[in-house]
Amino acid sequence: MGVREGDREDLELHRRLTTGDRGAFDELYRRYASAAYGLAYRLTGQQILAQDVVHDAYMALWRAPEAYDPARGAFRTFFLSLVHHRAVDTVRREERLRKRQERAANLERVAGEDVAEGVVNEAWVAIRRREVREALTTLPPEQRQVLEMAYFDGKTQVVIAEELQIPIGTVKTRTLAAMRKLRRALDQEDDV
Amino acid sequence: MIEDHERIEELLAGYVLRSLSGEDAVEADELLSDHVPVCGRCRDTLTDFQSLSADLALDTPPVAPPETLLPRLHRELEPVPHRRRTGQLVAVAASVALVAGLAGISLTQFVRAGDRQARADDMAAALDLARQPQADLVPVGPATEISAPGADEFFLYGTGVQAPPAGSVYRVWLVSDTGAPPTYAGELPYEDGVVFLKVTFDPASFTELDVTVEPSGSAPSAPGTVVWTAAA
Repeated sequence: MGVREGDREDLELHRRLTTGDRGAFDELYRRYASAAYGLAYRLTGQQILAQDVVHDAYMALWRAPEAYDPARGAFRTFFLSLVHHRAVDTVRREERLRKRQERAANLERVAGEDVAEGVVNEAWVAIRRREVREALTTLPPEQRQVLEMAYFDGKTQVVIAEELQIPIGTVKTRTLAAMRKLRRALDQEDDV
Repeated sequence: MIEDHERIEELLAGYVLRSLSGEDAVEADELLSDHVPVCGRCRDTLTDFQSLSADLALDTPPVAPPETLLPRLHRELEPVPHRRRTGQLVAVAASVALVAGLAGISLTQFVRAGDRQARADDMAAALDLARQPQADLVPVGPATEISAPGADEFFLYGTGVQAPPAGSVYRVWLVSDTGAPPTYAGELPYEDGVVFLKVTFDPASFTELDVTVEPSGSAPSAPGTVVWTAAA
């Protein structure tokens, strides 16, 4: 199953969701809850906070499915962005989580790669995951570093500049360069 | 207005990663409201970057959420009125009206503003709040204040609102009974008869909400003419 087929199925599930179809809600949960929870846990470093982030994202989806506009991209993009934003907001609200976040990073390595027991790993999501990881390996280390500090640590560019002791202009330049390089790499994958 | 697309794309990259702060965040908001909606290149860039941002999530290994999460969600998917107490039927009816209206905002005002995700988050939060049994729905002129006891934020929402006089804007002020100067809470965006604003505030010092009409572009140094008001 290709990525585009998966996106089309999401569109149909979303359409059903707008009619209050609980079966569609369950299917979207089955498809994305593991990716969402993994992301939220990586950012917040706490199971209970990660659970709240995912819970709130799914409830927001249930209550206002029209917030997703299919004309603006894939459902996956919308929903994982929603989860990411909520997780970042949670981290920033609770600065004390910083230390726990470091501990979570360690826990993640202990947990091992990819699939935890019971995780539903859609084939097309797995394909995209592999493409994203391959694309990330093409980034120069300094670009990947600022990208990960922003996205996975929820840090602002100002904080990144302070921690790396580099000008904020350099952080911005590296971030944009990383995004452009990733875009090119993934565009090539899409064309294959 | 920024016209340097290299600079714009730097801001858009930071925006989708949610890593902007201070003046950069303000600048990005302005771009998303004013420039991006009318610039095909920037719209495409924003769409691409948002897609990339979501793809980055896949770099994280999936982790099965706790088994209790789906049942917890199922409990909350029950039709809202069934969970309400009969004494709150009026509030429920008002909530339903609000929900329908807010959905309309998502299709019009939010799209044009460009900052869809953040505004969609605000809308979802307003919907969440309006549907809570403890939600307070207080009329403020033709609008409604949606809040919850003890919360540090509220939403101001209205439809069928008359446009402010030409060259003027609606502004929201929070008033204290301690004699302290009123606090400016922000401009109340108006579009096609709809107003919607999220306000964060200190519940301990807020006793009254005023909506004023003031000249567009003027410094909000003191409240102008009060057109709607509500007690906390």
